[in-house]
Amino acid sequence: MSQGTIRGGAELTADTTVDCDVCVVGSGSGGSWLAHELVKQGKRVVLLEEGGHHTRREFDMTEARAFPALYQELGNRTTDDLAITILQGRSVGGGTTVNWCASFRTPDRILAHWAEHHGLEAVNKAALTPHWDAIEKRLHVAEWPLGAINRNNKVLWEGLGALGYERGLIKRNVNNCANLGYCGMGCPLDAKQSMLVTVIPDAVELGLDVYANVSVRRLEWSGTRVSTVHADVLDPATDRPSGRTLTVKAKAFAVSGGAINSPALLLRSGLDGGGLVGRRTWLHPVVMMMAQFDEKVEAFSGAPQSVYSHHFIDRGPGKVGFFLEVPPVHPMLASVVATVVGRQAQTLLSSLPYLNVCIAISVDGLLPQETGGTVKLRSGAYNRVSFNYDLRAEHFEAFKTACEEMARIQFAAGAKKVMSLHLDPVVLESPGDLSKLSDAKWERLQLKVATAHQMGGCPMGADPKRSVVDPTLRYRGLDNLFVVDGSVLPTSLGVNPQITIMGLARNAAPAVAAAV
Amino acid sequence: MGTDSRRGLLKKGLLGGAVLALGGGGGLFLLPGRLEPLPSGGLKVLDQREYSVFAALARRLVPSTPGVPSVDELEVAKVCDTIVSQTDPTAQAEVKQLLQLFERALPNLLFGGRVSAFTSLSPEAQDEVLGEWRRSSILLRRTGFLALRAVVMGATFAQPRTWPLTGYPGPPSGFHQADAPHWVGGGTPRPDGNGVWREPT
Repeated sequence: MSQGTIRGGAELTADTTVDCDVCVVGSGSGGSWLAHELVKQGKRVVLLEEGGHHTRREFDMTEARAFPALYQELGNRTTDDLAITILQGRSVGGGTTVNWCASFRTPDRILAHWAEHHGLEAVNKAALTPHWDAIEKRLHVAEWPLGAINRNNKVLWEGLGALGYERGLIKRNVNNCANLGYCGMGCPLDAKQSMLVTVIPDAVELGLDVYANVSVRRLEWSGTRVSTVHADVLDPATDRPSGRTLTVKAKAFAVSGGAINSPALLLRSGLDGGGLVGRRTWLHPVVMMMAQFDEKVEAFSGAPQSVYSHHFIDRGPGKVGFFLEVPPVHPMLASVVATVVGRQAQTLLSSLPYLNVCIAISVDGLLPQETGGTVKLRSGAYNRVSFNYDLRAEHFEAFKTACEEMARIQFAAGAKKVMSLHLDPVVLESPGDLSKLSDAKWERLQLKVATAHQMGGCPMGADPKRSVVDPTLRYRGLDNLFVVDGSVLPTSLGVNPQITIMGLARNAAPAVAAAV
Repeated sequence: MGTDSRRGLLKKGLLGGAVLALGGGGGLFLLPGRLEPLPSGGLKVLDQREYSVFAALARRLVPSTPGVPSVDELEVAKVCDTIVSQTDPTAQAEVKQLLQLFERALPNLLFGGRVSAFTSLSPEAQDEVLGEWRRSSILLRRTGFLALRAVVMGATFAQPRTWPLTGYPGPPSGFHQADAPHWVGGGTPRPDGNGVWREPT
């Protein structure tokens, strides 16, 4: 097969129809690996992406350029009530173009939970390990050396060590990384082994055709088969519909738009999975604590995430566990995330080089009473869905415990002051002040909550009454439609999700190929 | 937009139906506020009144600091207009309603005993209003505060001219390459680079 091409919206100057074997909608962790595996098998594959084809020539490491170009809704995606800020990628490469490189395999206890509660015995460690081996090899996944970690991560490392808490070094998917710290804005060196620079171009060399700036509006289906994908071509300059269309006719289809956009596309197409599509969306809800140090931390510089702790991952029956990492701290994101205003905000932001931030990432979806998030279509909107998440007492208990533990760790590492991200921030001057957190309001919209990991909404499972896709990721009721992205996860993971999604995509490729 | 459709949008959208009880309802107590001159080049989606609320909010959220351009010099309200213009039309409508609601005198009267529009209040009174929204027991007021705050802070601190205020040195130089190859396949050789696979030696 001859080499394929990556086209943008500007090149689609007229209504266009293409034919292929498989049409994949979405170019992130799931869609890219699936497309790659299929072209390797000689299938004619078309990969569609709503965002643009942005490459390192544009990656100037400024937030002003990165957020509008590379994130969903310019980085402003939220739950309807603004209680949870949602960071989610949107460009060729999807989330992998902007994530912070943390690379973990699916934990054993999550696979065991899926087998026990979702009938997913076939999605097991033995089945996934060969895929993870191949993925990690291609993406140069390796532990980031302790000697190279930045001061922001070192705060977490030292604090965990001082308290005797479990700690580890994160594996990262990088090649010739210069330790700059701008992974979230697109790597200017192509050192991050995102789908944008690895698997997608590998597949294009083998014949994959990619269309960027195309927003898939509807899957046309009849009986048990999907026949056509209908997409609007977006004007790359405005990100609005250009009035031109792209129509893709294929023998098999995969929806890989991620845990919010995939359910939305299915709902727009009249596919609600018996009422399950868009429900039970998991977010790994994140709470943060900000610490001030006497010496410079410079959390904007150096590999963003290299240290983690799973010390609190399993907190016993009835409790939501959490894991600890740190985020990079750049001025715009810090100013938006911080809750203070006026002189207080300026005082805080003027100490940016001295700030460390720790994040606690809650493992949602494991308690029977959790219902998670719900994606619905929003009347009159083009690509903005309605999304609500059921933050419960169990989550707030975890948030409070996590904030106390993060403050303890930050003080153990030498912080002189620690601040919560409540709308009325709790300021702690010493470990003796930890009890002040008990008096804070642990309620929706009283403290900042965010998510960088979106999962679920089209859960896989063995029980047709509780799953949207079967264990091969085939949509129930349609023979040639698959969902291949984070939306198939029946629970959250307790680790950063990219490697899990890639592994599931690679594992699903034979079933998709067989549907052609 | 008619009153009925506006009411429907509010009920379904960002602000929820309860906001109507806080100051919607056909412009009651809608006293004139202070209008800012329109910026050069005009506005994309906001009207002059909405633009003026963003300008007033920005001055209170990010007060002037010696050695750093003010929010007026940075044209933060104009940047807010640009940001809002890039959002989904439903989000644009909600932000515009929120700005108008923020400006209206009725909620200020109900919650703070003030009878002026937000833009006409003294800086101290504006800070009090902001504090009332931020600390409100009513979830929807906190939502409104966070929405406007996020737009203003993003519009301000995305600008490199604010970096001296934060001590942020900016991105490291010598790494971004504006003329780097932009490979799109089509039968052309793929340029060498860190993404190209090589078997380890």
